[in-house]
Amino acid sequence: MRLTKFVKFREEKFGGVLFETRSEKVFALNPTAAAVVREIAVGGDEDAIAARLTDSFAGPNGVIEREVRTFIAELRERGLLDG
Amino acid sequence: MADRVADLAAGVAAETPRPAGLSASAEAEDLGAPLYVAWQITNECNLACLHCIEESGPGKAFRDELDAAGVIAVIDELMDNDVPYLSFSGGEPMLHPHFFAMVERVCSRGAELKIETNGHYLSVENCARMKSLGVKAVQVSLDGATAPAFQRMRVRGSFDVTVQGLRNLTAAGVPLEINFSPASFNAHEIGATVDLAYELGAYSFYTGRTMYTGNAVKAWRHLELPEARYEEFFAVLREKAIEYRGRMRVYFHEAGLLEELRYRLKHPAALLIVLPNGLVKLINALPFICGDLRREPLRDVWARFQRAWRDPRVAQFVDELAADPGRTRALHQWVHL
Repeated sequence: MRLTKFVKFREEKFGGVLFETRSEKVFALNPTAAAVVREIAVGGDEDAIAARLTDSFAGPNGVIEREVRTFIAELRERGLLDG
Repeated sequence: MADRVADLAAGVAAETPRPAGLSASAEAEDLGAPLYVAWQITNECNLACLHCIEESGPGKAFRDELDAAGVIAVIDELMDNDVPYLSFSGGEPMLHPHFFAMVERVCSRGAELKIETNGHYLSVENCARMKSLGVKAVQVSLDGATAPAFQRMRVRGSFDVTVQGLRNLTAAGVPLEINFSPASFNAHEIGATVDLAYELGAYSFYTGRTMYTGNAVKAWRHLELPEARYEEFFAVLREKAIEYRGRMRVYFHEAGLLEELRYRLKHPAALLIVLPNGLVKLINALPFICGDLRREPLRDVWARFQRAWRDPRVAQFVDELAADPGRTRALHQWVHL
Protein backbone atom coordinates (compact mmCIF):
# COMPACT_ATOMS: atom_id res chain seq x y z
CA MET A 1 0.00 0.00 0.00
CA ARG A 2 1.45 3.36 -1.00
CA LEU A 3 0.43 6.78 -2.24
CA THR A 4 -0.10 6.82 -5.99
CA LYS A 5 2.62 8.17 -8.20
CA PHE A 6 1.39 11.73 -8.57
CA VAL A 7 0.29 12.26 -4.96
CA LYS A 8 2.48 14.40 -2.72
CA PHE A 9 2.20 14.65 1.05
CA ARG A 10 3.37 17.59 3.14
CA GLU A 11 3.15 18.11 6.87
CA GLU A 12 1.43 21.28 8.04
CA LYS A 13 0.71 22.82 11.43
CA PHE A 14 -2.90 21.68 11.19
CA GLY A 15 -1.92 18.16 10.12
CA GLY A 16 -1.00 17.86 6.48
CA VAL A 17 -2.02 18.07 2.85
CA LEU A 18 -2.22 15.57 0.06
CA PHE A 19 -1.75 17.08 -3.37
CA GLU A 20 -2.94 15.04 -6.34
CA THR A 21 -0.85 16.72 -9.00
CA ARG A 22 -2.56 15.24 -12.06
CA SER A 23 -5.93 16.74 -11.26
CA GLU A 24 -4.31 19.54 -9.18
CA LYS A 25 -6.59 18.82 -6.24
CA VAL A 26 -5.57 19.40 -2.67
CA PHE A 27 -6.87 17.41 0.26
CA ALA A 28 -6.46 18.75 3.77
CA LEU A 29 -5.75 16.36 6.60
CA ASN A 30 -6.23 16.73 10.32
CA PRO A 31 -3.50 15.38 12.63
CA THR A 32 -4.95 11.88 12.77
CA ALA A 33 -5.32 11.65 9.01
CA ALA A 34 -1.79 13.00 8.58
CA ALA A 35 -0.55 10.33 10.96
CA VAL A 36 -2.20 7.68 8.80
CA VAL A 37 -0.47 9.02 5.70
CA ARG A 38 2.87 9.08 7.51
CA GLU A 39 2.37 5.44 8.42
CA ILE A 40 1.49 4.60 4.81
CA ALA A 41 4.77 6.21 3.77
CA VAL A 42 6.63 4.09 6.32
CA GLY A 43 5.01 0.98 4.86
CA GLY A 44 2.98 -1.97 6.02
CA ASP A 45 -0.52 -3.23 5.43
CA GLU A 46 -3.75 -1.78 6.71
CA ASP A 47 -3.88 -4.00 9.79
CA ALA A 48 -0.38 -3.02 10.85
CA ILE A 49 -1.07 0.68 10.35
CA ALA A 50 -4.34 0.49 12.30
CA ALA A 51 -2.58 -1.33 15.13
CA ARG A 52 0.28 1.17 15.32
CA LEU A 53 -2.09 4.15 15.38
CA THR A 54 -4.36 2.57 17.96
CA ASP A 55 -1.30 2.37 20.18
CA SER A 56 -0.36 5.98 19.44
CA PHE A 57 -3.72 7.72 19.85
CA ALA A 58 -5.86 7.59 22.93
CA GLY A 59 -9.51 6.99 22.17
CA PRO A 60 -12.54 4.84 22.96
CA ASN A 61 -12.13 1.19 22.15
CA GLY A 62 -12.18 0.58 18.39
CA VAL A 63 -12.79 4.17 17.37
CA ILE A 64 -9.27 4.92 16.11
CA GLU A 65 -9.09 1.67 14.19
CA ARG A 66 -12.48 2.34 12.59
CA GLU A 67 -11.48 5.86 11.60
CA VAL A 68 -8.19 4.66 10.17
CA ARG A 69 -9.92 2.04 8.04
CA THR A 70 -12.56 4.53 6.90
CA PHE A 71 -9.89 7.01 5.93
CA ILE A 72 -7.82 4.45 4.03
CA ALA A 73 -10.97 3.37 2.17
CA GLU A 74 -11.61 6.97 1.21
CA LEU A 75 -8.06 7.42 -0.02
CA ARG A 76 -8.53 4.36 -2.23
CA GLU A 77 -11.91 5.57 -3.47
CA ARG A 78 -10.37 8.87 -4.52
CA GLY A 79 -7.53 7.15 -6.32
CA LEU A 80 -4.89 8.46 -3.94
CA LEU A 81 -3.67 5.05 -2.86
CA ASP A 82 -2.26 2.02 -4.66
CA GLY A 83 -2.59 -1.44 -3.21
CA MET B 1 3.70 29.60 -23.88
CA ALA B 2 1.81 32.23 -22.02
CA ASP B 3 -1.89 31.75 -22.54
CA ARG B 4 -3.15 31.45 -19.05
CA VAL B 5 -6.77 31.36 -20.16
CA ALA B 6 -7.15 28.69 -17.56
CA ASP B 7 -4.74 30.17 -15.08
CA LEU B 8 -7.32 31.10 -12.50
CA ALA B 9 -9.12 27.84 -12.90
CA ALA B 10 -5.89 25.97 -12.47
CA GLY B 11 -5.26 27.70 -9.18
CA VAL B 12 -4.89 25.08 -6.55
CA ALA B 13 -8.23 24.59 -4.93
CA ALA B 14 -8.45 23.12 -1.49
CA GLU B 15 -10.72 20.17 -1.18
CA THR B 16 -11.17 17.97 1.81
CA PRO B 17 -11.66 14.25 2.11
CA ARG B 18 -14.35 13.85 4.69
CA PRO B 19 -14.13 10.58 6.54
CA ALA B 20 -15.73 10.98 9.94
CA GLY B 21 -13.28 12.67 12.29
CA LEU B 22 -10.50 12.89 9.73
CA SER B 23 -11.15 16.10 7.90
CA ALA B 24 -9.91 19.64 8.02
CA SER B 25 -10.06 22.66 5.79
CA ALA B 26 -7.02 24.14 4.10
CA GLU B 27 -6.81 27.69 2.87
CA ALA B 28 -3.62 29.24 1.57
CA GLU B 29 -3.28 31.22 4.78
CA ASP B 30 -3.09 27.99 6.78
CA LEU B 31 -0.23 26.54 4.75
CA GLY B 32 3.45 26.88 5.58
CA ALA B 33 4.48 27.25 1.94
CA PRO B 34 2.87 27.32 -1.49
CA LEU B 35 1.75 24.03 -2.95
CA TYR B 36 2.25 25.12 -6.52
CA VAL B 37 4.75 27.49 -8.11
CA ALA B 38 4.00 28.59 -11.67
CA TRP B 39 7.28 29.91 -12.95
CA GLN B 40 7.52 31.94 -16.14
CA ILE B 41 11.19 31.10 -16.65
CA THR B 42 11.76 33.38 -19.64
CA ASN B 43 9.84 35.98 -21.60
CA GLU B 44 11.68 35.02 -24.79
CA CYS B 45 9.54 33.23 -27.36
CA ASN B 46 9.84 32.03 -30.93
CA LEU B 47 6.21 32.98 -31.55
CA ALA B 48 4.30 36.25 -31.20
CA CYS B 49 0.80 35.05 -30.36
CA LEU B 50 -2.08 37.46 -30.78
CA HIS B 51 -3.42 36.89 -27.28
CA CYS B 52 -0.20 36.45 -25.28
CA ILE B 53 -0.83 37.69 -21.77
CA GLU B 54 2.90 38.10 -21.14
CA GLU B 55 3.57 40.00 -24.38
CA SER B 56 6.30 37.46 -25.07
CA GLY B 57 7.98 37.14 -28.44
CA PRO B 58 11.31 37.09 -30.25
CA GLY B 59 13.74 39.39 -28.45
CA LYS B 60 11.35 39.91 -25.53
CA ALA B 61 13.44 38.32 -22.78
CA PHE B 62 13.64 40.51 -19.68
CA ARG B 63 17.02 42.18 -19.36
CA ASP B 64 17.32 40.92 -15.79
CA GLU B 65 16.24 37.31 -16.17
CA LEU B 66 17.86 34.97 -13.66
CA ASP B 67 21.19 33.45 -14.66
CA ALA B 68 22.26 29.82 -14.25
CA ALA B 69 23.18 30.21 -10.60
CA GLY B 70 20.03 32.24 -9.95
CA VAL B 71 17.59 29.68 -11.30
CA ILE B 72 19.23 26.82 -9.41
CA ALA B 73 19.18 28.88 -6.21
CA VAL B 74 15.46 29.53 -6.63
CA ILE B 75 14.75 25.85 -7.32
CA ASP B 76 16.72 24.81 -4.24
CA GLU B 77 14.87 27.35 -2.12
CA LEU B 78 11.54 25.95 -3.33
CA MET B 79 12.62 22.37 -2.78
CA ASP B 80 14.03 23.14 0.69
CA ASN B 81 10.55 24.38 1.58
CA ASP B 82 8.81 21.25 0.29
CA VAL B 83 6.99 22.86 -2.62
CA PRO B 84 5.60 19.71 -4.24
CA TYR B 85 4.61 20.99 -7.67
CA LEU B 86 6.06 23.42 -10.21
CA SER B 87 5.31 24.42 -13.75
CA PHE B 88 7.69 26.06 -16.19
CA SER B 89 6.16 28.41 -18.73
CA GLY B 90 7.21 31.48 -20.63
CA GLY B 91 7.58 32.89 -23.19
CA GLU B 92 8.70 29.57 -24.52
CA PRO B 93 10.35 27.75 -21.60
CA MET B 94 12.30 25.39 -23.83
CA LEU B 95 14.23 28.39 -25.16
CA HIS B 96 15.69 29.03 -21.72
CA PRO B 97 19.45 28.40 -21.95
CA HIS B 98 19.38 26.23 -18.81
CA PHE B 99 16.02 24.56 -19.40
CA PHE B 100 17.12 20.94 -19.05
CA ALA B 101 19.39 21.69 -16.10
CA MET B 102 16.38 23.22 -14.36
CA VAL B 103 14.16 20.27 -15.25
CA GLU B 104 16.76 17.87 -13.93
CA ARG B 105 17.18 19.78 -10.69
CA VAL B 106 13.45 19.89 -9.94
CA CYS B 107 12.80 16.26 -10.83
CA SER B 108 15.86 14.96 -9.00
CA ARG B 109 14.70 16.70 -5.84
CA GLY B 110 11.37 14.92 -5.95
CA ALA B 111 8.86 17.58 -7.00
CA GLU B 112 6.39 17.11 -9.82
CA LEU B 113 7.00 19.31 -12.84
CA LYS B 114 4.76 20.39 -15.69
CA ILE B 115 6.09 22.13 -18.80
CA GLU B 116 3.81 24.58 -20.62
CA THR B 117 5.12 24.98 -24.15
CA ASN B 118 4.03 25.99 -27.63
CA GLY B 119 5.24 22.59 -28.82
CA HIS B 120 7.76 23.76 -31.41
CA TYR B 121 10.78 22.17 -29.71
CA LEU B 122 9.33 18.76 -28.96
CA SER B 123 11.84 16.79 -30.97
CA VAL B 124 12.15 13.05 -30.49
CA GLU B 125 15.35 13.65 -28.50
CA ASN B 126 13.87 16.34 -26.25
CA CYS B 127 10.78 14.26 -25.53
CA ALA B 128 12.91 11.25 -24.63
CA ARG B 129 14.97 13.44 -22.32
CA MET B 130 11.89 14.78 -20.56
CA LYS B 131 10.60 11.26 -20.12
CA SER B 132 13.87 10.04 -18.65
CA LEU B 133 14.05 12.99 -16.26
CA GLY B 134 10.53 12.29 -15.00
CA VAL B 135 8.53 15.29 -16.18
CA LYS B 136 4.99 14.86 -14.88
CA ALA B 137 3.22 16.34 -17.91
CA VAL B 138 3.67 18.68 -20.83
CA GLN B 139 0.89 21.11 -21.65
CA VAL B 140 0.84 22.29 -25.24
CA SER B 141 -1.20 25.09 -26.81
CA LEU B 142 -3.36 23.89 -29.66
CA ASP B 143 -5.70 26.67 -30.71
CA GLY B 144 -7.47 24.92 -33.51
CA ALA B 145 -7.85 21.71 -35.43
CA THR B 146 -6.60 23.23 -38.67
CA ALA B 147 -3.48 25.11 -39.70
CA PRO B 148 -5.29 28.36 -40.68
CA ALA B 149 -7.01 28.78 -37.30
CA PHE B 150 -3.96 27.72 -35.30
CA GLN B 151 -1.51 29.87 -37.21
CA ARG B 152 -3.70 32.94 -37.08
CA MET B 153 -3.40 32.85 -33.28
CA ARG B 154 0.17 31.55 -33.15
CA VAL B 155 1.95 34.13 -35.27
CA ARG B 156 5.18 32.59 -36.67
CA GLY B 157 3.95 29.19 -35.50
CA SER B 158 3.40 25.98 -37.43
CA PHE B 159 0.44 23.68 -36.88
CA ASP B 160 2.25 20.75 -38.47
CA VAL B 161 5.36 21.17 -36.32
CA THR B 162 3.21 21.37 -33.20
CA VAL B 163 1.19 18.28 -34.05
CA GLN B 164 4.38 16.36 -34.81
CA GLY B 165 5.73 17.47 -31.44
CA LEU B 166 2.60 16.14 -29.76
CA ARG B 167 3.04 12.82 -31.49
CA ASN B 168 6.68 12.73 -30.34
CA LEU B 169 5.60 13.38 -26.77
CA THR B 170 3.05 10.62 -26.60
CA ALA B 171 5.42 8.24 -28.39
CA ALA B 172 7.97 8.95 -25.66
CA GLY B 173 5.36 8.28 -22.99
CA VAL B 174 5.20 11.79 -21.57
CA PRO B 175 1.67 12.63 -20.34
CA LEU B 176 0.10 15.30 -22.55
CA GLU B 177 -2.30 18.11 -21.75
CA ILE B 178 -3.79 20.44 -24.34
CA ASN B 179 -4.67 24.09 -23.85
CA PHE B 180 -6.99 26.02 -26.17
CA SER B 181 -7.45 29.80 -26.25
CA PRO B 182 -10.73 30.82 -27.94
CA ALA B 183 -11.08 33.68 -30.38
CA SER B 184 -13.55 34.75 -33.05
CA PHE B 185 -11.66 32.80 -35.73
CA ASN B 186 -11.11 29.47 -33.95
CA ALA B 187 -13.97 28.97 -31.47
CA HIS B 188 -15.97 27.02 -34.04
CA GLU B 189 -13.17 24.42 -34.10
CA ILE B 190 -13.42 23.62 -30.41
CA GLY B 191 -15.17 20.29 -30.90
CA ALA B 192 -12.72 19.16 -33.57
CA THR B 193 -9.79 20.28 -31.43
CA VAL B 194 -11.01 18.24 -28.46
CA ASP B 195 -11.29 15.25 -30.79
CA LEU B 196 -7.79 15.88 -32.14
CA ALA B 197 -6.38 16.19 -28.62
CA TYR B 198 -7.80 12.79 -27.76
CA GLU B 199 -6.52 11.27 -30.98
CA LEU B 200 -3.06 12.62 -30.14
CA GLY B 201 -3.14 10.96 -26.74
CA ALA B 202 -3.92 13.82 -24.37
CA TYR B 203 -5.26 12.98 -20.92
CA SER B 204 -6.54 16.51 -20.18
CA PHE B 205 -7.94 19.39 -22.20
CA TYR B 206 -8.14 22.92 -20.77
CA THR B 207 -9.87 26.03 -21.98
CA GLY B 208 -11.63 29.13 -20.75
CA ARG B 209 -12.17 32.74 -21.68
CA THR B 210 -9.32 34.60 -23.34
CA MET B 211 -8.27 37.58 -21.27
CA TYR B 212 -8.23 41.19 -22.41
CA THR B 213 -4.64 41.90 -21.49
CA GLY B 214 -1.12 41.75 -22.92
CA ASN B 215 -1.03 41.38 -26.69
CA ALA B 216 -4.78 40.77 -26.70
CA VAL B 217 -5.44 44.44 -25.98
CA LYS B 218 -3.89 45.38 -29.33
CA ALA B 219 -5.46 42.47 -31.21
CA TRP B 220 -8.87 42.46 -29.54
CA ARG B 221 -10.79 43.32 -32.69
CA HIS B 222 -9.51 40.03 -34.16
CA LEU B 223 -9.96 38.00 -31.00
CA GLU B 224 -13.16 39.14 -29.35
CA LEU B 225 -15.75 36.43 -29.00
CA PRO B 226 -19.29 37.70 -28.35
CA GLU B 227 -21.15 36.24 -25.40
CA ALA B 228 -23.58 34.37 -27.66
CA ARG B 229 -20.66 32.57 -29.26
CA TYR B 230 -19.15 31.81 -25.87
CA GLU B 231 -22.45 30.13 -25.00
CA GLU B 232 -22.16 27.94 -28.10
CA PHE B 233 -18.51 27.29 -27.28
CA PHE B 234 -19.27 26.09 -23.76
CA ALA B 235 -22.26 24.07 -24.96
CA VAL B 236 -19.94 22.07 -27.22
CA LEU B 237 -17.53 21.58 -24.34
CA ARG B 238 -20.27 20.29 -22.08
CA GLU B 239 -21.08 17.66 -24.69
CA LYS B 240 -17.43 16.79 -25.17
CA ALA B 241 -16.87 16.45 -21.44
CA ILE B 242 -19.58 13.79 -21.40
CA GLU B 243 -18.38 12.13 -24.58
CA TYR B 244 -14.83 11.73 -23.26
CA ARG B 245 -15.67 10.96 -19.64
CA GLY B 246 -13.31 8.30 -18.33
CA ARG B 247 -10.96 8.71 -21.29
CA MET B 248 -9.82 12.35 -21.29
CA ARG B 249 -10.73 15.11 -18.85
CA VAL B 250 -12.23 18.14 -20.56
CA TYR B 251 -11.87 21.16 -18.26
CA PHE B 252 -13.40 24.47 -19.12
CA HIS B 253 -13.93 27.53 -17.06
CA GLU B 254 -17.02 29.55 -17.84
CA ALA B 255 -16.64 32.20 -15.17
CA GLY B 256 -15.37 35.60 -16.15
CA LEU B 257 -12.26 37.19 -14.73
CA LEU B 258 -14.11 39.39 -12.26
CA GLU B 259 -16.00 36.51 -10.71
CA GLU B 260 -12.77 34.58 -10.35
CA LEU B 261 -10.92 37.45 -8.73
CA ARG B 262 -13.71 38.03 -6.23
CA TYR B 263 -13.51 34.37 -5.30
CA ARG B 264 -9.74 34.56 -4.95
CA LEU B 265 -9.99 37.57 -2.65
CA LYS B 266 -11.79 35.30 -0.21
CA HIS B 267 -9.93 32.11 -1.05
CA PRO B 268 -6.41 32.77 -2.34
CA ALA B 269 -4.90 29.82 -4.16
CA ALA B 270 -1.77 28.25 -2.67
CA LEU B 271 0.00 29.30 -5.82
CA LEU B 272 2.90 31.67 -6.45
CA ILE B 273 3.51 33.15 -9.88
CA VAL B 274 7.26 33.66 -10.39
CA LEU B 275 8.50 35.95 -13.16
CA PRO B 276 11.71 35.40 -15.17
CA ASN B 277 13.62 37.83 -12.93
CA GLY B 278 12.54 36.21 -9.67
CA LEU B 279 9.81 38.68 -8.78
CA VAL B 280 6.63 37.09 -7.48
CA LYS B 281 3.15 38.12 -8.59
CA LEU B 282 0.08 37.83 -6.45
CA ILE B 283 -1.87 36.28 -9.29
CA ASN B 284 -1.47 36.45 -13.03
CA ALA B 285 -4.59 38.55 -13.56
CA LEU B 286 -3.53 41.31 -11.15
CA PRO B 287 -0.58 43.71 -11.44
CA PHE B 288 0.66 43.28 -7.87
CA ILE B 289 4.17 42.12 -6.97
CA CYS B 290 4.51 40.61 -3.53
CA GLY B 291 8.08 39.38 -3.32
CA ASP B 292 11.50 38.88 -4.86
CA LEU B 293 13.07 35.44 -4.73
CA ARG B 294 16.48 36.89 -5.67
CA ARG B 295 16.69 38.60 -2.31
CA GLU B 296 14.17 37.05 0.04
CA PRO B 297 13.69 33.56 1.40
CA LEU B 298 10.52 31.82 0.29
CA ARG B 299 9.14 31.92 3.83
CA ASP B 300 9.15 35.76 3.77
CA VAL B 301 7.68 35.92 0.27
CA TRP B 302 4.94 33.49 1.25
CA ALA B 303 4.10 35.53 4.35
CA ARG B 304 3.85 38.69 2.24
CA PHE B 305 1.72 36.86 -0.33
CA GLN B 306 -0.71 35.89 2.41
CA ARG B 307 -0.87 39.46 3.76
CA ALA B 308 -1.11 40.97 0.28
CA TRP B 309 -4.49 39.42 -0.38
CA ARG B 310 -5.83 41.53 2.46
CA ASP B 311 -4.22 44.74 1.14
CA PRO B 312 -7.01 47.24 0.35
CA ARG B 313 -5.33 48.14 -2.96
CA VAL B 314 -6.01 44.63 -4.22
CA ALA B 315 -9.72 44.71 -3.41
CA GLN B 316 -9.89 48.23 -4.83
CA PHE B 317 -8.37 47.09 -8.12
CA VAL B 318 -10.94 44.30 -8.37
CA ASP B 319 -13.74 46.81 -7.65
CA GLU B 320 -12.39 49.12 -10.35
CA LEU B 321 -12.35 46.20 -12.73
CA ALA B 322 -16.08 45.80 -12.19
CA ALA B 323 -16.61 49.38 -13.32
CA ASP B 324 -14.05 49.24 -16.11
CA PRO B 325 -13.15 45.77 -17.48
CA GLY B 326 -10.49 47.49 -19.58
CA ARG B 327 -8.37 47.91 -16.43
CA THR B 328 -6.81 44.58 -17.35
CA ARG B 329 -4.84 46.39 -20.02
CA ALA B 330 -2.67 47.71 -17.18
CA LEU B 331 -1.66 44.35 -15.74
CA HIS B 332 1.92 44.86 -16.86
CA GLN B 333 2.26 48.10 -14.92
CA TRP B 334 3.46 46.34 -11.80
CA VAL B 335 2.50 47.60 -8.38
CA HIS B 336 4.86 46.54 -5.58
CA LEU B 337 2.98 45.80 -2.40
